[in-house]
Amino acid sequence: MSAPVTLSPMIDQLQLGSSELQPKTETDVAASFGKALADARGLEKQATDAAERFANGDPSMGIHEVIIATEKASIAVRYATTLKNKAVEAYRELMNTQV
Amino acid sequence: MDFFTAMEVSASGLSAERTRMNVAASNLANAQTTQAAGGGPYKRKDVVLSAVDVPGAAGEPFAQAVRGVAVSQITQDAAPPRLEYDPGHPQANAQGYVAYPNVNPVEEMVDMITASRAYEAGVTSMTTAVNMAERALGIGR
Repeated sequence: MSAPVTLSPMIDQLQLGSSELQPKTETDVAASFGKALADARGLEKQATDAAERFANGDPSMGIHEVIIATEKASIAVRYATTLKNKAVEAYRELMNTQV
Repeated sequence: MDFFTAMEVSASGLSAERTRMNVAASNLANAQTTQAAGGGPYKRKDVVLSAVDVPGAAGEPFAQAVRGVAVSQITQDAAPPRLEYDPGHPQANAQGYVAYPNVNPVEEMVDMITASRAYEAGVTSMTTAVNMAERALGIGR
């Protein structure tokens, strides 16, 4: 969950000249978003597994383990959503630049 | 993964307290049990807690200093059984004494309260970690 979203290189490149604009930074944002999504997916799967095992009477699975797994998945999903919102917001901001 | 580490640590504490609660309940339930597996009266059980590595914390700053907790073993109290004179009891010995478990219900109640309070504390630290993560997500909103 430590992948930072950095849009500043993109802005730097805009200042240098549009011919220098490469899709590299865009893949950076995409990569960190992809990682966040994959994390969220994994944690969500863990939460589902935990709930299923609890429902099936697995003695090693306590109530708090299920709730914690669910809470973790919720945080991860919200992190991914926030990341997506930020990226889209930044994109819109750039697209609205007056020329 | 940042706040997830705190959540893992709290979770290990909650599991440990759950085990302590189970053991205290077992001791209380068997406070009058005169026949246990292996012969003799039930013997009071006690948990031994030990600090363990936190899963998923490797690579984090000070990962070695942050420790979770786990029940490493459950021991039997070596205190002698409580002898009560009751010649009519089927488990009475030649002198007419019955060996009752070395369980003191008052002590078990105190253990239970401790486990319950520690569980509450664990839930509070868990909630705090979740709230902090939510606050962090709220920065950009």
